[in-house]
Formats: sequence, C-alpha cells, structure tokens
Amino acid sequence: MSRTKISERLGLVRYRNQGRHDAKPHITVDTAICDSGCPHQCTTYVCPANCYTLNEEGKLRFQFEDCIECGTCLYACDQGAVTWNYPDPETGRGVEWTFG
Amino acid sequence: MNDDAFDCIIVGGGIAGLSAAMTCARKGLKFLLVERGSFNGAKNVSGGVLWGTRLNDLVPNYWEDDAGYERFVAHRRLTFLDGQSAFSVDFKSAHFHERPYTGLIVLRARFDAWLASKVEEAIAESPWPEDSLLAPDTLVTDLVVENGVVVGIKVGEEEFRARAVILAEGVNNLLTRKAGLQTGYVAADHMATGVKEVIKFKPGVVEERFQLAEGTGLTNEFVGFASGGVEGGGFLYTNRDSLSIGLVLNMKSMRENLGADKKIYDVLSDFKTHPAVRDMIAGGEVIEYSAHVVSTGDMRVMPKELYADGLLLAGECANLLLNSGKAIQGMDYAMESGILAAETVAQAKEAGDFSRNTLKLYREKLEASYVMKDLRRFQGAVKFLHNEAMFTKVPAVVNEFGRSFFTVTNEPTEKVPTLLRRAVDKHASLWEMIKIGIQGGRAL
Ligand SMILES: Cc1cc2nc3c(=O)[nH]c(=O)nc-3n(C[C@H](O)[C@H](O)[C@H](O)COP(=O)(O)OP(=O)(O)OC[C@H]3O[C@@H](n4cnc5c(N)ncnc54)[C@H](O)[C@@H]3O)c2cc1C
Ligand code: SF4
Ligand code: SF4
Repeated sequence: MSRTKISERLGLVRYRNQGRHDAKPHITVDTAICDSGCPHQCTTYVCPANCYTLNEEGKLRFQFEDCIECGTCLYACDQGAVTWNYPDPETGRGVEWTFG
Repeated sequence: MNDDAFDCIIVGGGIAGLSAAMTCARKGLKFLLVERGSFNGAKNVSGGVLWGTRLNDLVPNYWEDDAGYERFVAHRRLTFLDGQSAFSVDFKSAHFHERPYTGLIVLRARFDAWLASKVEEAIAESPWPEDSLLAPDTLVTDLVVENGVVVGIKVGEEEFRARAVILAEGVNNLLTRKAGLQTGYVAADHMATGVKEVIKFKPGVVEERFQLAEGTGLTNEFVGFASGGVEGGGFLYTNRDSLSIGLVLNMKSMRENLGADKKIYDVLSDFKTHPAVRDMIAGGEVIEYSAHVVSTGDMRVMPKELYADGLLLAGECANLLLNSGKAIQGMDYAMESGILAAETVAQAKEAGDFSRNTLKLYREKLEASYVMKDLRRFQGAVKFLHNEAMFTKVPAVVNEFGRSFFTVTNEPTEKVPTLLRRAVDKHASLWEMIKIGIQGGRAL
C-alpha cells in the first residue's frame, strides 16, 4: 500500500487566517546554521507538517504556513537555529482543530 | 494592590487551566482565564483517554449531561506487533461500567469546549458572575514581574493584574521558561511527538466492529512494528463514530532512525498497513490529521520548582505526565494539579499572602497526591521503555511464540517451554529476555 502524501493529510487541517497572504511568521529559522554545520538536519524528517525541506541545491528551506504548532522543532533542533513562538491570534497563522 | 486586580489569572485553557478555573469559581475567587485558541480546545491534541474519576468532582454526574466525552473505557487491549502478526493481552469487564467511570475517551476540541461551558455555568453561580471571565483568542506574551514577584500578565502592550498567576500553558512552556523555572532547552531525549488521525465511519460501524455496547469504548495500545523501529508505541481509541489512531515517538530516537525516505508521518502510514490494524480501520475516511509534542514523564526535565512568588505551574508545562507503558497520564495529572493549584490560591487569599511561603503548599499537596507519588514510583518504567528491546526484540519473540503456539499442523506438537525457548533463541538470548522480564517486573 502506498503511503499517504503529506499534502493530502495537511489538506484536512483547518488553519487560521488561511486567506491572508501577509500573515506574520511565528517561527524563524537561521538557515545559515542548517546549511553549514548541522550533522543530521532532522527537522526535515521529524516535522509532522513537512515545513523544513531541502531544495535542489541541498539548502534548507523553512515555511511556517503549514505549521500545526506541534512544538517538535522546538526540541528536535539541538543546533540553536529555531526561534519558536506561538502565532499571534490576529496577525499570525496557526491551526484550529476540529477534533484534536 | 488595586481592586480591579483579579485574585487569579490562569494562562491556558486546556485541562489544567479549566480545572483550575472551575475550582476558582467554586472557591469564590475572581479570576481570568486566557486562552490563545479561538475556543477552548482549538489548539489541543491528545490520544486520548482521561483516566481516573476526578472529573466527577468538577462536574458531578457528568454522564447525565450531554458530556463532551466520546465513550467510557470498558475494554482494554495491549498488542505486540511484528510485521505480520499481532499478539494481544485483552481485558474486558463489567466493573468498568460502574460510575463514575475510570476512563473516558475524548477528542479535545470537543471535550475542552464542553468543560469550558461548565466553567461558564460555575462562574454564573459564583460571587463574580460579571467579573470572572474566560477570554479566548488571546495570547499571553509575558508575565509582569515587580521586585521578583509575579503580579500579572502581558497581552502585547496591555497588562492585566492578579494576586497570583497559574501557568497552565501545556508542554511547550514558553512562559515557564521566561519565568526562569526551566532551562531554555529541554533535551529531545525526554520528549516525544504524537501524530494522529481521526477516521470516520458510518453510524453503527464502530459499535459493531468492536463489539461495543451502548456508550462503551475500547483502548488499544501497540508496541513493536507500530513505531517502525523508533522508540515509542501506537494507540487506537474508539470515539462515537470514529477512531483515533496514532503514534507517540521519541524525538531522539526519531532523529537516529528516520530520514528522508521515512519521515514521521510515513511511520503512521506504515502502521496502518499492518494486517491487524488494516482490518480495524477498513472502510473509514480520514477526517483529521494532527500532531503535538508530549513529554515522556522523565522527572529529570521537570522545572526546578513548581511555584515562585505569585506564580504556580500546573499540568504539562510542569512536565507532569507519566507514560508507564500501560497508559499515558497527562490529562488526569493536568486536572489534579490544576485543582490543587487553584485551591492553594484560595488558601493564599485567606491568609492574605501570595508569596512562596504560602504557595509552597501547592508542592506539598501535589507531593501528597497520587501524581507525584506515581511519578516517583514509576520512573523505573519510564527508563524501562527507553530500552530498545522493548520495541524490537520483545514483540518479535512474543509473536514468534504466538505463531508456533496457535498454529496447528499435522506434525508432532512441541510443548510450551520448548516453543518459548525457540522463539527467544531466534530473536534474542535467553539471558537478555530474563533480564528484561526482571526489569519490567520491577518497573511496574
Ligand atoms: C498524541 C497524544 C496522545 C496523548 N494521549 C494521552 C492520553 O491518552 N491520556 C492522557 O491523559 N494524556 C494524553 N496525552 C497528553 C495530554 O494531551 C497532555 O498531557 C494534556 O493535554 C496536558 O494538559 P494541559 O492542560 O497541561 O496542557 P494543554 O492541554 O496543552 O493546554 C494548554 C493550553 O494553554 C494554551 N496556551 C499555551 N500558551 C498560551 C499563552 N501564552 N497564552 C494563552 N494560551 C496559551 C494552549 O492553547 C492550550 O489550550 C497525549 C498527548 C498527545 C500529543
Ligand atoms: S535540526 Fe536545526 S540546524 Fe539542523 S536543519 Fe533542522 S533547524 Fe536546521
Ligand atoms: S511546530 Fe511542529 S509543525 Fe510547526 S514547524 Fe515545528 S515541527 Fe513543524
């Protein structure tokens, strides 16, 4: 059986301010650290919303729009690259569970 | 202190915060509960089973209400999986039907919202029907600290004042860290991530498939194949017309065992393909995918203290959670600690002293309760679950034995000791299994 695509799973998630294109990021990543010295780049496979990816040149890219605020990268990154906050209810993005 | 100050401000309207709020209302305190979600429960994820009977103290005879839970636990199962087989320990009992129930299966967006509606009712009956408030959609950005004493909260530029603040912000405890009660970085070794799906069925299917009488529910925990070689386990709980299925995976172990070809959510996909699991979820429609961090219950990552001048920590922001293998207890610990924290604030008000001299009573109450007693008693179990054999060799041996024991052929049959010996020899050494048996026995 093939594995469910993450895009399909995230398609079921309800986000706040979904229509807003200027939503304020609640997490920032210092990708210079990711690209220079990180021995595992584990956030690219432990983030349950696949917000951390590697581009064709192998450089780390982070996007906060799909973030489901789980908190994993707050602990999984042991290199000090992640600045983690909760999204602002008004101007930020973030998740809204129907079941939870 | 001026008189528009609250007696108590509670940060976070999850189970700890709502339990504290209910207690504040009953004790006649003027309080404010601040929740960043647009409603209580909007941001919260659990498996989940609320264990124990404490809810009945907060909302007496809650089952008479259209309570926010899904089903009460009447059937429990622990399943060991290898790639093809499932070996279960299964327990079903009429004792579980006695009220108050000892386990409630919940979906947090529903349950927390329901509990909040009960708190609203309690506020209406309290001495402060107009002044005590539940404020959703509001993010607390900082604490107000004067001369080392916590005297309120900040919401952006605005300040709200209180004689005491209860932090009930959950495991991702940014304010607990700001208050200096926990070091900024909590090692991934002591944290896990839960990933989960809710799978919906046509009405009646869940009852029929799982042989559930009216209102009763099944909890099924899984070890072995479920976690795909990562430290952790799986769960499946029956809701009214849906199932909650998911995994709790240790972060350090994920870092070491997963990668680009197998990401965290792929482990969940693989778990669902196991023949035994596939049959349970067949024909259902996935209606939500979610994830959240959950602590492992290792006391070494607890904040250095659970109170400061004007400040108390309740629930998982204080790492009050036990994962002993047979159950995850985070919600009942949140409830118990939320209640005890609010009771302490009420005592502090009576004494007219909100300094640590009075608030330390919270620590004493918590130490005297089952929460700290069990946390201390079962640290061995927490460490035991760190043992790699628990999610690799043990399930393999158990299923090897199951296969040889339950398969009937036209060959002469060996007796149990021989079968067991063979099962062990194939996947591990006898000595290793004996050691694990002894450690496990001690841990539980
Ligand atoms: C997959 C999974 C399965 C689980 N299974 C079980 C189970 O079966 N049984 C069990 O007992 N436990 C289980 N748990 C653990 C349980 O969910 C938690 O221990 C429990 O929710 C902790 O309750 P809490 O009230 O302390 O925190 P939470 O429920 O996390 O509530 C914290 C609240 O504070 C709010 N908040 C945080 N910061 C702020 C801020 N700055 N301003 C305003 N609001 C804020 C949040 O929005 C949230 O509503 C599970 C957890 C996971 C992830
Ligand atoms: S673990 Fe940290 S440093 Fe490494 S890639 Fe991820 S975010 Fe970057
Ligand atoms: S909080 Fe969770 S979902 Fe959001 S970026 Fe971090 S790991 Fe991904």
